Amino acid sequence: MVEFLAQTGLNALYAASYLSLIAVGLVLIFGVMRVINFAHGELYMAGAYCVVALYAQGRAPFLAAVAAGAVFVGLLGLLMERALFRPLRDNPLGGLVASIGFLMILQAAAAMGFGVRMQNIPPASQEVLVIADRVRLALPRLWVIIAAAVLLSALWLFLKRTRFGWALRASAQDREAAALQGISIDRTARVAMFIGAALAGIAGALTAPMVSVNPNMGHSVIISAFIIIIVGGIGSLEGAVIAAFAYAFVHTFVATFADAVIADIVGLLLMLAVLIVRPTGLMGTRDRA
Amino acid sequence: MSRALLEIDGLTMRFGGLMAVDGLSFRVEHGAIHGLIGPNGAGKTTTFNLISGFYRPTGGAVRLRGEAITGLPMFEVARRGVVRTFQHATLFAEMTVLENALVGTHMRFRPSIFAALAGLDAGDRRAARARAEEALDFFGLLGLAQTRAADLPHGHQRALGMAVALAAGPDVMLLDEPFTGMNPEETRRMMGLMRKLQAAGVTLLLVEHDMQAIMGLCDRITCMSFGRLLAEGSPAEIRRHPAVIEAYLGTGGGHAA
Amino acid sequence: MRRALFWLALAAVLIALPQGLSLSQQEMLVFLTINILLVASYRLLTLTGEWSLAHVVIMGVGAYASALYAAHFAVPVPVSMLLGAATAAGVALLLSYPLFRMKGFYFLIGSFAAGEIIRLLWRRFREPFGGPRGLTRIEPMPSFDLGVWHFDFFLPASYYYLVLAVVAVSLWTLWRIEKSPVGLTFHAVHWQDSLAQAAGVNVRAWRTLAFVIASGFAGLCGALGAHYLGTANPQAFGVEQMVFVLTWAIVGGTATFHGPILGCIALTVLNDVVLRGLGLEQARPMAYGLVLILAVLFLPKGLEDLLARALRRLRGAGARTEPAP
Repeated sequence: MVEFLAQTGLNALYAASYLSLIAVGLVLIFGVMRVINFAHGELYMAGAYCVVALYAQGRAPFLAAVAAGAVFVGLLGLLMERALFRPLRDNPLGGLVASIGFLMILQAAAAMGFGVRMQNIPPASQEVLVIADRVRLALPRLWVIIAAAVLLSALWLFLKRTRFGWALRASAQDREAAALQGISIDRTARVAMFIGAALAGIAGALTAPMVSVNPNMGHSVIISAFIIIIVGGIGSLEGAVIAAFAYAFVHTFVATFADAVIADIVGLLLMLAVLIVRPTGLMGTRDRA
Repeated sequence: MSRALLEIDGLTMRFGGLMAVDGLSFRVEHGAIHGLIGPNGAGKTTTFNLISGFYRPTGGAVRLRGEAITGLPMFEVARRGVVRTFQHATLFAEMTVLENALVGTHMRFRPSIFAALAGLDAGDRRAARARAEEALDFFGLLGLAQTRAADLPHGHQRALGMAVALAAGPDVMLLDEPFTGMNPEETRRMMGLMRKLQAAGVTLLLVEHDMQAIMGLCDRITCMSFGRLLAEGSPAEIRRHPAVIEAYLGTGGGHAA
Repeated sequence: MRRALFWLALAAVLIALPQGLSLSQQEMLVFLTINILLVASYRLLTLTGEWSLAHVVIMGVGAYASALYAAHFAVPVPVSMLLGAATAAGVALLLSYPLFRMKGFYFLIGSFAAGEIIRLLWRRFREPFGGPRGLTRIEPMPSFDLGVWHFDFFLPASYYYLVLAVVAVSLWTLWRIEKSPVGLTFHAVHWQDSLAQAAGVNVRAWRTLAFVIASGFAGLCGALGAHYLGTANPQAFGVEQMVFVLTWAIVGGTATFHGPILGCIALTVLNDVVLRGLGLEQARPMAYGLVLILAVLFLPKGLEDLLARALRRLRGAGARTEPAP
């Protein structure tokens, strides 16, 4: 039983790792641009397809494919910022709808380029870390955990220690005040969008060999990410990471001991409960979509 | 002394560690124009928001004709006869002037889906319209009935805000800084409108910054400072009151103290 | 007089419409008509300023409820449809307690969560919802005779007339609500909720009212669809369908009653006739997404605004030429 709990805990840790990468990007984008990026799940999907194209089909080394995926998806993010979110800056509902349009384009592009069927990706490594007899962790999963820890720490340092990070946090708090301080909103928005998108791309690329890669794979991920950013208090990066862990553990354990549908319902109820108790979230004044 | 229409009794509001209003008590007599003044940050607007139900007080009571209305939501306070206006020109900007006033008649002629679908509300609609037009006429806005509220000049927007309140048929009208941003001519006209409202039987409580206007208009004045009652009396008494003079000079004279 | 002529002409066109169409086109027409009511009911909800993502799931509640009433309690189909609509309205009333503690974006996400929970319950409970495969062999609308006319509701053309009648009456109802003092109060709640409260409007009660009425009509749409298709399953009421409703409303423009209807017709024609006609099967969502983005970027007030401007120009030109000898 202890081993079973430990194994489930490891599975939850793995889920928490890639979910926090996705949720943190979503929060970063919301913080600076005040728009909920509905296409964030499809950025994750785009990262996974980079691995399909370069690693599974192109025979490139796995990590090179992941790096290329991060850059490619980051560039997609820049495109979204320039073409959609910047012109629609004063129209949050418009930004949301435009991101839905972009989502459809990405899905269709994946379906046209690779077909709608599930992709077959050889595992990046066959090695398994044996912690105890029935507690095992496949090496690619460990990579995801390590990557999340490293990337999130780096992001944290970047935001707290550099001038640019300061500018980013300032514009997330108050756009007008930040502009008065001489911070370029366009530039911070570009950086936030690139980082946020690239994180989603890395999550998609790293997990690609372990999940079913198909054009609709972003859907379930985006729902989890929404739950996480709401539970974490929208706009809070630390909150998103904590909520990602809480959600991943609750979801994984309920899914293991009850069933997956019940786990989904529990997750959504968790989010509704937070919304009911704290109806305007942590950032109470920014409640108009 | 007649029984007070509106009675504020030990009203208290704490925001975290800050006491915005601290045990404030005063009475508004039926048919009076009552002013609530005080230096910046005295808690006038908070008091106003507490009376109108915009905030729920931490302590104390607000009574209307002896009945407690403390902590009721704003629409319930309005239904009991205390209708407020807002600072600046808070209006239904996209609606016409007439439609704005029609919303004011909501309490008297409560719209009903079933009556509307069955066509049984024709009488109500006519009566609501008549009442709305009467309120607009009162403020000289009837000629602008079909104009979009957002397109009105500033002074007219203020008047429209009061017309919406009047259409609601209030016993007490709470006016939040009605003279802000007005030139002397507009101020004079607004004062005339308030006297006209008083003559029509509406009791007025106004929060104001403009001492000149308030001295010439009010029957009674309550002066607050740092959330507490500083002085109360007729305009002449307030003008001479040493604490009031000190409070105003204190904030006007500088922050050396 | 001119107005009466317009409505008569429109009625004639709508009645004649299925005649020249193929069977599959007639079928499309049935769903387009249902969707027009769906998006018009959605607009009633948005009148109070809140955007829900649960509207399509609520539509599904109507579909499931109506199908189950007809199957288990032997309720005649027309009655079960009305009961389905009432059930959808009732579910909306229950949901309004938690949801209307929220506003704006939080309401959007909260309604999404509530809708997903309902969908997961359908999926989870095989009894009575049929699990992931949903309900099948739903009781069809019984055929009936009207003097010389015989309506067999298996035929899309016949079902179209039924739907047309129901939708016409519903749209008229929605229109009357919007143009009444009730509609004015909805607008007031949207534009300035604190001023509305100061005028004695119980803002939350009125938001709930709009939500419940809109949901009732959405439920009716679901019931109309379910008894024609014969099936109802969780996938049919998912986020993708909700995105379509949202885009019809936004591309059409929500400022007027006809805006969302215009959006629904234009985008359905674009999606099902033009893009399908061009044979761009897989690229269809791509073109659709592109249109969506272009509409948000360049038509912020929606198609209705474009139409209004075109009409004004037409009329302006007419007015200028008339006085000329």
